[in-house]
Amino acid sequence: MNGLGFLLSIVSSLLFPGIIAVTKAKLSGRKGPGIFQPLFDAARLFRKGSIYSVTTSIIFQIAPVIYFASIVVALLFMPFGQYKGFLSFEVDFVFFSYLLAVGKFVMIIGAMDTGSGFEGMGANREALYSMLVEPAFFILMGSLALLTNHTSFYSLFVHIHFDSVLSYLIALLAIYLFVQIAMVENSRIPIDDPKTHLELTMIHEVMVLDNSGFDMCLIHLATGLKFALYGGLIANFIFPDTWPLYTQIAVFLMVNLLFVIAVGFLEAFRARNKLEKNPKWILTLSSISMVVFLSVLVIVHKYFLE
Amino acid sequence: MTTFSLLLLFELTLIILSFTERVKRFLTMLMIQGVLLFGIAYLQLQHINALYLAFILLETIIIKGLLVPLFLNQMRKRNNFNRLAHSKVSTFITVMAISAAIVFGFLLSSNIHDDNLQTKFFAASIATIITGIYFMIVHRNIFTHIIGYLIMENGVFLFSLAVGSEMPMLVNTAILLDIFVGVLVLGIFANRVGDTFKNMHVDDLAQLKH
Amino acid sequence: MLIVYFLSAFAISGTLLYLRNRALQLFFNVLFLAVQTVLTVYAYCHLNENDSIYFAFDSIGVILSGVLTLLGYATFYHSYLYLERRSDTKRNKSIYYAALILLSASMNGAYFSKHLGTFWICVEATTLCVSALIYHERTPIALEATWKYVFICSVGISIALVGILSISVAVSKEGLTDLDLNSIVAHAQGMNTKWIKIAFILVLTGFSAKMSLFPLYAVCVDANTVAPPPINAFISTALKNVGFLGIFRMYTIIAQTDALPWANNVLMITGIISIAVSAAQLLRVNHFNRMLAFSCTEHMGIVALALSAGGIGYYAAVLHIVLHSFAKAGFFYQIGQVYSIYNSYLIKECGNYIKLNPLGAIVVILAFICVTAIPPSGLFVSEFMTFKSLFAGDHYYIAIAALFLLTVIMFVIGKDLLRLLYYNGDGFTAPQSVKINRLETVSQFIFFGFIIYLGVNPPEFFSDLIRGATAVLP
Repeated sequence: MNGLGFLLSIVSSLLFPGIIAVTKAKLSGRKGPGIFQPLFDAARLFRKGSIYSVTTSIIFQIAPVIYFASIVVALLFMPFGQYKGFLSFEVDFVFFSYLLAVGKFVMIIGAMDTGSGFEGMGANREALYSMLVEPAFFILMGSLALLTNHTSFYSLFVHIHFDSVLSYLIALLAIYLFVQIAMVENSRIPIDDPKTHLELTMIHEVMVLDNSGFDMCLIHLATGLKFALYGGLIANFIFPDTWPLYTQIAVFLMVNLLFVIAVGFLEAFRARNKLEKNPKWILTLSSISMVVFLSVLVIVHKYFLE
Repeated sequence: MTTFSLLLLFELTLIILSFTERVKRFLTMLMIQGVLLFGIAYLQLQHINALYLAFILLETIIIKGLLVPLFLNQMRKRNNFNRLAHSKVSTFITVMAISAAIVFGFLLSSNIHDDNLQTKFFAASIATIITGIYFMIVHRNIFTHIIGYLIMENGVFLFSLAVGSEMPMLVNTAILLDIFVGVLVLGIFANRVGDTFKNMHVDDLAQLKH
Repeated sequence: MLIVYFLSAFAISGTLLYLRNRALQLFFNVLFLAVQTVLTVYAYCHLNENDSIYFAFDSIGVILSGVLTLLGYATFYHSYLYLERRSDTKRNKSIYYAALILLSASMNGAYFSKHLGTFWICVEATTLCVSALIYHERTPIALEATWKYVFICSVGISIALVGILSISVAVSKEGLTDLDLNSIVAHAQGMNTKWIKIAFILVLTGFSAKMSLFPLYAVCVDANTVAPPPINAFISTALKNVGFLGIFRMYTIIAQTDALPWANNVLMITGIISIAVSAAQLLRVNHFNRMLAFSCTEHMGIVALALSAGGIGYYAAVLHIVLHSFAKAGFFYQIGQVYSIYNSYLIKECGNYIKLNPLGAIVVILAFICVTAIPPSGLFVSEFMTFKSLFAGDHYYIAIAALFLLTVIMFVIGKDLLRLLYYNGDGFTAPQSVKINRLETVSQFIFFGFIIYLGVNPPEFFSDLIRGATAVLP
């Protein structure tokens, strides 16, 4: 049963891009594609071969595979209520985070490998934003670890309890931060708009301009998986492990669905930031998680504030 | 713990203020701060005294949360001032500085051991006062200076909660009146500056040096 | 008594705000001066008595209130002349008088406050009232100066409020909950020195904007640059005394604790920096009002030095603040005359004053003697006592540095005033001759007479008052 979180996340990840697209379409009054359209696209791409530019090397060719693999491995850490993930050890969230970073790193050097000016620019921005959002994630996880006195995803989520107004507030802020971190990691609005058509303002999309066929398919699937990662974390964060299993599964899927719909809402109603504003905006996430950290310090009486 | 939650929200408003560009959002944050201050002061009441309750209601929600922001909003419309002009210091540094102020206030107050000081208010008040002064120093626009002054006044309010000072009612009322009239006077002069110099930039106010 | 005073001041001010008739305006102004005089005399007769839980007639308050009353006569007289000469709207004139009366009332409130909360309220009120007066001429440059003055003073006073609140942390250890000055002083020995030091720094910083002391001295200078001459005379004297009183009250509290040597060092550094800054600024000043304003900063620096030196320096500090008020007020009235002759405050556009207005020129010479503390000026006595106590306290370097800076200041002021008096060379064109009424110089002669009299041969009651004011200091 340890793989339950992994399996549920994989399943839900397949539908994520479709649900986001449908939500956005409905909110803006369009008919929109079907929920399964992204899957059809992926299947079509899967059947095609890849075309590689003559200036690229092996790095560019293996980058999407490593990227995809890193996210799948990260998903192995996904706990589910009282069940651990496939992998679970102390401070596994650090490993988790750097696994994602490895994926990102190979994508960045893959983009550099093409020698295209646009892709280098996109890689540059992607690297900057990942770097800036990293403290937010670590401070947040550190706060949760401090709050529970446990350091692996599994035990951390099992031992988290909410009993006072302050801890509810912290939980709300943590969920907010998880959602925003997911947006940054996936290069979605307000950081980047996947629908944009101008290479100069793209971030993630411009990095994968040269990828095609099978590689593109992996990249598309990886986007869904990444959303599923954060959706799963939020779901684990919310429901207690004492509920019956079926309720838990239902709640897990429900939370994921809500998360994705929330992303759709955010994307439909929020405008994309000006590029120069992005670093400041991401930095505020770190600030907020730092305030969360301070409050946790107060809760656990590391510091006495009368 | 409930008080602390409100203080936490209060500090979040500081972070939001630090990267806000729209003036309307500034005023909204001031309103929210007024309401939060009411909650904080209300939770501090040991025994409900109708007079005192009415006073803090007047001070926080009505004046800090309603009248002053509405007045400033009138001023904003009159001077057609919607976005903060870019200051010389980038927003990135502002966010860092205000986060640092919050951490500083926290560390300072956790190192003070004084029975007569309520350190949780002290932490928030230090951060708020520093934020207010920072706004006044960094921004080059007198409208933002007034906002910085108001943020600082909110910090002073928290500070008075921290020290638990029991000023007589008459004195408290007079202090409140002074600050309120002060903001009005500042607003009137700022409007005049807007009319005379066609904008509210500090760089236009540099004739005296010549 | 003070409540009656405040109510009548509000009533008179409110009436004046809506009054457009000149004769009635005059009547109400005289009425206010009468009320003001009655208050001062009443306060002196009830010395060291409490008026209510917020106010008391202590010695320093009586001294400063007396100074305010004397300056008030001259200020109202010169204001009347000033407004007659200008073609302001009637509404602006009404606002001017009303604000002037409110300003006087709030300054009196500050002088007699024995509760730190009420003191703070009155100081903030002076800032608000004075804004209308500084902005009286309604020029863009006046707007700039007023904005800076009101804003920086408000911020400074808020900082001072934080300082005052810090005192309440320091005293709450002693079980005190209110901020009554007498009980704070009485309980000061057991106070937490850490908090009292924080309070001292914050109050000093905050009220430095009012007292024109380093670090926030610049706004006072700006305000003096643009304000009407009678207002300049008033705000650079009576209003600075309010700032001085704030710092003096704080000093009396800290003087009871172990932190006194520390506070003395802080005051000494502030004082010497103020003198140095004013000397440096005076070297490049080109405007008479700014020159006098920087000279104020210098004198306030001397007062800070005198306080920090202790002993006879306390006496010197209070004496200096009183004498400086008369000297600077007289000087500013005279600058008003200079302006009405040359229609300019710029030093380079003035000259040959001794021919154009001989009586005024004598006043300028006397003012120079008084302000730069050349004997027989009373300021010489107070400065002499200051330096005596500095040397007695082994602060040789500070004293020598201060003396050097004073020499520089004396040179600069002397140079500029000699140019005003005698320059008749290239580039100077004598203005159209303006007739100045000789009666306008009377106030200056009286004030300079006071300076010499009070400094050289102070009457017994005056020395007693100063000794009473400094009695609580160690």
